[in-house]
Amino acid sequence: MSFFAPFCIPFLVGAAAMFAVLAWKWGSWLWCLPRTDKRLILRGLPTRATLEAVGEVVGESLLHRRIFRINPLLGYMHMSLAFGWFLLIAVGWIETMACLGLHWVPIQGHVFFRYFSTGLPHVAAFDFLMDLLLLFVLSGVALAWGKRFFSRRMGMRRTTKHVPGDRVALTALWFIFPARLAAESITCALYGGGGFLTGSIGAWLGAHVPEFGLMNAESVAWWFYSSCLGLFFVAMPFSRYMHIFTEIPLIFLRRYGLRSGEKATSYDEFQVEACSRCGICIDPCQLQSVLRVDDVQSVYFLRDRRYGMLRREVADNCLMCGRCAEKCPVGIDLNTLRLNARDGLRNVPDERRYDYFKGLDRSSGEGKVGYFAGCMTLLTPRTLSAMETIFAAAGEQVWWADREGGVCCGRPLKLAGETDSARRMMRYNTELFRKHGITTLVTSCPICLKVFREDYALDGIEVLHHSEYMLRLLRSGRLALRRGATRFTYHDPCELGRGSGIYDAPRAVIEAVGELLEPEHTRENALCCGSSVANTAITDGQQVRIARSVAGELEATGAEVVVTACPLCKKALGRGTAAAVRDLAEVVAAELK
Amino acid sequence: MAAINFGYTISRPRAIDLDRNNLRKSDEILREMPELQTCIGCGSCTAVCTAGNLTEFNFRKVHTLVRRGEYQGAYEEMNKCMLCGKCRLVCPRGINTRGVVLLIKRKLGDF
Repeated sequence: MSFFAPFCIPFLVGAAAMFAVLAWKWGSWLWCLPRTDKRLILRGLPTRATLEAVGEVVGESLLHRRIFRINPLLGYMHMSLAFGWFLLIAVGWIETMACLGLHWVPIQGHVFFRYFSTGLPHVAAFDFLMDLLLLFVLSGVALAWGKRFFSRRMGMRRTTKHVPGDRVALTALWFIFPARLAAESITCALYGGGGFLTGSIGAWLGAHVPEFGLMNAESVAWWFYSSCLGLFFVAMPFSRYMHIFTEIPLIFLRRYGLRSGEKATSYDEFQVEACSRCGICIDPCQLQSVLRVDDVQSVYFLRDRRYGMLRREVADNCLMCGRCAEKCPVGIDLNTLRLNARDGLRNVPDERRYDYFKGLDRSSGEGKVGYFAGCMTLLTPRTLSAMETIFAAAGEQVWWADREGGVCCGRPLKLAGETDSARRMMRYNTELFRKHGITTLVTSCPICLKVFREDYALDGIEVLHHSEYMLRLLRSGRLALRRGATRFTYHDPCELGRGSGIYDAPRAVIEAVGELLEPEHTRENALCCGSSVANTAITDGQQVRIARSVAGELEATGAEVVVTACPLCKKALGRGTAAAVRDLAEVVAAELK
Repeated sequence: MAAINFGYTISRPRAIDLDRNNLRKSDEILREMPELQTCIGCGSCTAVCTAGNLTEFNFRKVHTLVRRGEYQGAYEEMNKCMLCGKCRLVCPRGINTRGVVLLIKRKLGDF
């Protein structure tokens, strides 16, 4: 039995081109990985991480569980296309094996089996199963069509604006399965067989269309099906569908502990090309929902970066609040990719920069506990004096790192992309902390907290946010508070919540002084205040508009006082509301017994 | 006579000839950041400046000079900025001061 017909050529050429490009891309990315990353992979291969990665590939690349959590219908659409197609291929191989035994069959023999198997006896179970799977995939295609017009029904207010290459691939993908249905049905009409779908359509065609017409149509239909496949395969590595194959190695590499950093590496390519441009990141973005800026969201940023057309305006226009990363079904580290893209655009190593740090030390006091106010706390002196009151009430001996002015923590500069210069600030502050021998470092600024925990080498020094520190004082009985009837609501700062995973400590502190009311978006879904230091592109007016929308939601809780745990959020929210906005420390200091 | 130290200094008076200065870079900067023209020179940015507290760095002075076409040393001065963003929060005209710092550095990197 020969498994070749001329119509197979487009499919074969497309598949060969796709695998060649894939091999080249994966090979070069893996080859260019830093040595430490390569070592991580080798060390991770024989461990449990590999098995867990296989599990995640099944759960995410095939079943798309994370999308189900966003919207069940959207999840079903993605699952039916991915898992359905996978099953069509897998069951198709089993079918050929069942019909021909363990006998080598070329790839086109599997894919176009219905065409080649007309002379073989049919297995009814496989006919039924293959038709069922085809129907499963077709339902996904129908939903994808429907999503063009009724995206809101599938939980998406806005969908991605696609580039022409994506449209070509998308069109080819849409036609693959209807074309397969047509081709198989016509073959069934001529030679019999087929299940409830292709068999029935085939029988109807056989009864209504003359055989001569069917013979011509069969050849056209198989040519069309093969061409759609070929076109899709050629377009795939260059379009958004590259995610189909890139997400798989990404999951493995992530399980082996590879991470993106402040400098771009080839691991970033895995992340960038694993983006399917599903557009789920668009709706959470407040630049979109409040300001109607619609070309800077993560999906567009990754697209521009991938095709080498990233503009500074796009890279800079992001609050880095992390709301999109929280929702990303592929789990791409969007903030870090944005950060190292800015590094590529802006970083200028300058050895003489910040020479004025030499010999600088404005710290005061002595103690094992150090307090780093940070620039923004120095701009909100009420927070600072509240912290003084609290330290005094707890009888803590405090070393004040920067009450009389000091060097910035370095995170704002890092977020702007000047990572090498930011390192100089980090080095200065680290030496300062070491010189004064502190064992605990308290800060009231989540921006500083995040950089202290992630970028500073502070072994032996425990870094605490003031919310955690105050909670510790309360729990150990060193602070006693009056609990009143005031109703508070709490705004989660991005750098504290999504950034550092601290949600419960500030809430526990608030509940010690009054009643806590949650706004509509809270914890992982909390909104950004809009004045994030990560964004150097939006105007003051735009920042205030975001602040107003956030403040509106906080006021809607009916609380008398808006509490936050970030001096920058406090300033920002204060610009958007007439209501009282206080830092957590102020609330605590006011209710000390 | 020994000068009395009042705790502050003022810039020495001097004349800037706008006809002689090359305003091309200045124009470019104002075209990209037109809001800089709304600056009233109140100096709030400089008053709260983290770097200005530690050094002679004076943001108002530098960006004013740049707008007049006096680019000498502006890049090096701007490099003292730590981009902490306090100036942006206190500016009464709502000027994107952090954007101004980055823009001036980008335009005047080769001066």
